[in-house]
Amino acid sequence: MSVEATKAVSEIKSEFAPLIVAFCCNWCSYAGADLAGTSRLNYTANVRIIRVPCSCRVNPYFVLRAFQRGADGVVIAGCHPGDCHYSTGNYFTRRRFSVFTNLLEYLGIEKDRFKVDWISAAEGNKFASVMNELLEKVHQLGPNRKLRDSRWKR
Amino acid sequence: MEKIAAKVREVAKQALASGAVTKILGWETGEFWYDASPVFITDEKAADSLIWDAFCVTNLSKYLIKELKTTQKIGVFLKGCDSLAFNQLLKDHRIDQEQVVIYGLPCPGMIDPEKVKKAGLHQGLLKVKRSGDELTFVTANGEKKVSSRSFDYDKCLRCRYPNPVVYQELIGEEIVRETSNEDRFADVSALENLSPEERYDYWTKQFSKCLRCNACRNVCPACSCEKCVFDNVAAGISGKATVDSEEQFFHIIRAYHVAGRCVDCGECSRVCPVGIPLHKLNHKIMKDMNELYGTYEAGVDGADKSPLVTYTLDDTDPFDGHRQGEK
Ligand code: SF4
Ligand code: SF4
Ligand code: SF4
Repeated sequence: MSVEATKAVSEIKSEFAPLIVAFCCNWCSYAGADLAGTSRLNYTANVRIIRVPCSCRVNPYFVLRAFQRGADGVVIAGCHPGDCHYSTGNYFTRRRFSVFTNLLEYLGIEKDRFKVDWISAAEGNKFASVMNELLEKVHQLGPNRKLRDSRWKR
Repeated sequence: MEKIAAKVREVAKQALASGAVTKILGWETGEFWYDASPVFITDEKAADSLIWDAFCVTNLSKYLIKELKTTQKIGVFLKGCDSLAFNQLLKDHRIDQEQVVIYGLPCPGMIDPEKVKKAGLHQGLLKVKRSGDELTFVTANGEKKVSSRSFDYDKCLRCRYPNPVVYQELIGEEIVRETSNEDRFADVSALENLSPEERYDYWTKQFSKCLRCNACRNVCPACSCEKCVFDNVAAGISGKATVDSEEQFFHIIRAYHVAGRCVDCGECSRVCPVGIPLHKLNHKIMKDMNELYGTYEAGVDGADKSPLVTYTLDDTDPFDGHRQGEK
């Protein structure tokens, strides 16, 4: 590879600042994110958190819209099964998004861009590592083009 | 089928004459040889136009939603797949059993006009008659008899409920129909075996044909909301631009919205004017739900719950791939 080519590749890589959208439930995961912050844990700055009352509030179309409008990765984070503030919300989340994730994959969209995870209010570390891991995966996959709206400029 | 058709007219006349119902919903002959259009009949005399032939494929259950708002008591003819749709609408509280009298029609299968055209048999065709698995193509120059199997709709070849699962009166004898022993989800597996890129290309090509005519929504018995998200401008999700992302959005959400309610009638694919195999999305969802949460068939049992509106404590947790960090 010529010197110029190497340079071009590294430039593209450095230009790519992935955007990760995280839907966090108010009661556990959002508090987990807070803890990660107050504990001054080092996690990626590319995450935009959207607070939702319950992971079960996340409509599949939120996920699609996030991807359309520039997200390269999307996380839905809720309380661990059994710990839901509303008793049962995350059990529904679990079923719905298992099916939804498979559907995305069936359409040829990389499963690795999308993640559902359980993060409690005490798991600041887990919050940080879930975000970092997703960032790592998204870096490997490159920018999301498959669901992005071609009219959307970022 | 002609004997049964005579019975259909008989039953309709009696029901209207006796005042058991005020309206009958059935099929009548349409413009072309492959046409059978839904028709509402209130007058006894008009019941003579009712038909039951190889093209009565339109599902009449969906018409009930609107009709029952203004009609007190209606009589309707339902085939196997239509009866599944009926059950599903009941379960979704879209219709009221009390207002409906169902005349069940055991169904020998319906003929796909596209397959007839492909075989070149449509030239000069006047009429197609069906008796059991024998089809008679009537043309000006005479008749031609063939076996029906190669002309049945794909959905009919897979059909597992040719006899209605719910009815007040069954017209004719229950029939036994051989289902193709091909795996029900073979179409899904075939796609699953492709690479992600191939799958993406496949679906993008399919979706890009979409006209947003909404025929797939209108015909679907599982798609029964009065106010649809796709019509809700205020929600900002009713984008109709012909860009990949809006098309993907429409199709993913359409398929997912009927998850657990789709009765696998294949109507969505049938009515799509550009031939998008929509039911292959619904099939995928069905297959996954069966694999993850146990066999479930929408519309068969009026009381069981769709896998997505219930849960068990020990459901599999396919997201639990996270191994680092504290637990
Ligand atoms: S799917 Fe079954 S019940 Fe429906 S038209 Fe075909 S054979 Fe008849
Ligand atoms: S999604 Fe298609 S196959 Fe399923 S119920 Fe609706 S029309 Fe029938
Ligand atoms: S019937 Fe076909 S073309 Fe019409 S909206 Fe549905 S998928 Fe699109």
